Amino acid sequence: MKLTKIISVTALSSMMALSVSVANAFECKVKNASMAKPNGFPDRALTMIVPYGPAGGSGQIAAAMAEAVTELTGVSINRDHKSGGSGTVGMTAYMAAPTDGYTVLEHIDDASSAHALDSSKPHPGRDLIPLVTAQVTFSQIYIRSNETRYSDWPSFVKWVKAQDGKATIANVSKEGSMERVTMKFITDASNMSIQQISFDKGAPRYGALLGGQVDALYEQPGDVRKFLDSGDFKPILTIFNERPGVFADVPTHKEMGMDFEPLLRFRGFYVHKDAPADRVEWLKWAFQRGYCQDSYQKFNESKFMTVIDSYRDTEGSIELINATIPQYRAVYKQMGLDVK
Amino acid sequence: MIENFIAGSSALFGDPFTLAIFFFGVIGGMLFGAIPGVSMLTLAAILLPFTSDLSPAQGVMLFAVIYCTGTYGGAITAILFNIPGAPENAPTAFDGYPMTKQGKSGKAVGAAVLCSAIGGVASALVMMAATQPLATWAIRNIGPPEIFALVFFGLAVASSVGGRTIWKGWLSVLLGLLIATIGQDPVGGINRFNFGFADLAAGIAFVPAILGFFAVSEIFVQAEKRATGTFNAPKVGMSFPTLFELWAQKIAVLRSILVGFFCGILPGIGATLAAFMGYGEAVRWSKDKESFGKGNIEGVISSETANNAATGAAMIPLLALGLPGGALTAMMVAVFQMHDLEPGPLVFYNSPDLIWVVFAAMFYANLSILFVGILETKTILYLLKIPFQFLAPLILLLASIGAYIGRGLVLDVMVMFLAGIIGFLLRRSGYSIPGIVLGIILGKIGEQNFAQGMQMVHYDIVAYLSRPICSLLILAGVLTLGVGVYQALRAPAKKA
Repeated sequence: MKLTKIISVTALSSMMALSVSVANAFECKVKNASMAKPNGFPDRALTMIVPYGPAGGSGQIAAAMAEAVTELTGVSINRDHKSGGSGTVGMTAYMAAPTDGYTVLEHIDDASSAHALDSSKPHPGRDLIPLVTAQVTFSQIYIRSNETRYSDWPSFVKWVKAQDGKATIANVSKEGSMERVTMKFITDASNMSIQQISFDKGAPRYGALLGGQVDALYEQPGDVRKFLDSGDFKPILTIFNERPGVFADVPTHKEMGMDFEPLLRFRGFYVHKDAPADRVEWLKWAFQRGYCQDSYQKFNESKFMTVIDSYRDTEGSIELINATIPQYRAVYKQMGLDVK
Repeated sequence: MIENFIAGSSALFGDPFTLAIFFFGVIGGMLFGAIPGVSMLTLAAILLPFTSDLSPAQGVMLFAVIYCTGTYGGAITAILFNIPGAPENAPTAFDGYPMTKQGKSGKAVGAAVLCSAIGGVASALVMMAATQPLATWAIRNIGPPEIFALVFFGLAVASSVGGRTIWKGWLSVLLGLLIATIGQDPVGGINRFNFGFADLAAGIAFVPAILGFFAVSEIFVQAEKRATGTFNAPKVGMSFPTLFELWAQKIAVLRSILVGFFCGILPGIGATLAAFMGYGEAVRWSKDKESFGKGNIEGVISSETANNAATGAAMIPLLALGLPGGALTAMMVAVFQMHDLEPGPLVFYNSPDLIWVVFAAMFYANLSILFVGILETKTILYLLKIPFQFLAPLILLLASIGAYIGRGLVLDVMVMFLAGIIGFLLRRSGYSIPGIVLGIILGKIGEQNFAQGMQMVHYDIVAYLSRPICSLLILAGVLTLGVGVYQALRAPAKKA
């Protein structure tokens, strides 16, 4: 076994130990272990609309939460994947679905950024009621571990500047995406220019870095955990206000002199605002308590989602959404996008 | 390798429960692949939660087996009813269905069974021999510019297939490319041609378009023939291809194994591109290009060999690097994760037993296509005896379910019927349905990789063409185009 792999396995053990300690410290914020069904609701299976495919991050969290809620309540949840259009197909289908509480929605921060760009799109904190935000994570910049041209953030910036705009980074850089907005923050603050290559699927994106087709990768740690565990990738910058324990040796953007508020990737579950109030209360309990189920916690731990607090109840979710939308809107205007 | 293979085989056959799972996967994959309206992905999605109760080796092995036999299963309906079970079976219908109409359904299905097995077994053997070095080579040498060049190379022969003239062939391909631009652009996410409909932001899905252009337009064509008294029910041909006929196609089989394997090894590409490229290469190297799309057995052989050759190859980036090649291999990642495992380099160190059970199972699954497929074919061919007035509504019903089930959108059913009407009218005028479908599928893959490739080289076309594999493929594509145009221009002059 190569030395780097031995080191990475050791690093993995320490990461796992830290993750476990976080998981052990986990305390469920929903105290009621059970809740009476309001007027028998639900007396049949729920439907969960998922605006992305089954194999990606949204598909996986939807499956894990559905399993947890079913374990807890005995109510089945059928997942209906309506992928495409960066989540707009699923959102449109959801807004046209009956508002009886039997249909819930999984969505990510794309719903907030879509509303920031076009206010006619549903506001996830007003047109929908967040049941729970179950994953909140930060982003990092990764390079190959065996990279010889640079080894850390300062040397990377120096190398990128020397390339005169010809360095490349793989991400999901669709117009208005969290990745593109954050990269604008980073390149402005570092006074460098880097070509962003947009890959909408994970495998070609990670393959591009592994194979040396691009120079760096913008991603969230849970999505590239296997490459961190195998020692193929290493993070050189954490885009978060403080160093998370498992990445204690990776500097944050603020430490590197970039003064902007990090945009977070968050995934959660919603119900339509017109759903009956008593049903909404039951759904809130089921999904927030579902977050506490061992199976869900184990899932989140495997995705590096216990590194920072991933949990937001309804109020916390609305706060997160309301903080995010103006931030996107301001930067969209700065980027010259047509904000409606 | 031999010792590991024997160990994997012993683990597979030594445990009755593991063996039962293997056979369940073989039969389930074939059935779900063959029934229009569902696919191997449907079966995989249903089974995913249950794999947590299996051992990691059993869970991953089950999905790998479904992948092998499901890829073959869709060929049956493509050949018999012009309904490809999945996009990777669409090129099989180009020649398979015309063979059915000529009373050669047995030969077409027999060729599909045999060549799917050959393609799958060959790729399983290469997978066992060289997973890690091949995966590393592929990601280092093949990036978006090379994938675009490969698509361009494939499209260069598309005009030869199925059109009355090469110009109509090209117009058909261009229509397909135009349809492929509907929806958000694959790199910037800008909406195009969606006319304000949110559902169109995701573009035209492959399955409804394929079902419409193939199955629905065919129903309309047959209905017109009945109305005009020119309808002839397809004859049920039970005769399988002879050994001599198959031996004559050895070069096509070998070429398709190479093409399918090469496409399958590329992360995110998978069997669909493999089938289309395999078919395209058969056309390119044939002396009788005009016979393709009209019932040339080489078309069936090339498509089915290539798509099954891609199955073993797609496991290479998945197992060696953790990079899934398509939707089903992406689901396999979830199976790994349900058991606290991650596919990738460490799995070879940490779980060699699992790897070799999966390798052995894929090898035997591909072999079983041969035996189970022949038994299945003997019975399924009798479906052709159902009278048209009963069969047509049944096909329309199954096709409608198939179009709807993917995303649960009525729009997809509407797209299917619209494609059926357009396909019916274009076929009457001598345009090429295979050309349109090739344009739709290769257009989406090609555009995305072209845009990514141009970004990678900073929009410098010289830098783009300085990549050796890329420039070689583009040069070959340009030459093919040039020869095609030259021949088309000369043809009327010759006649004169």
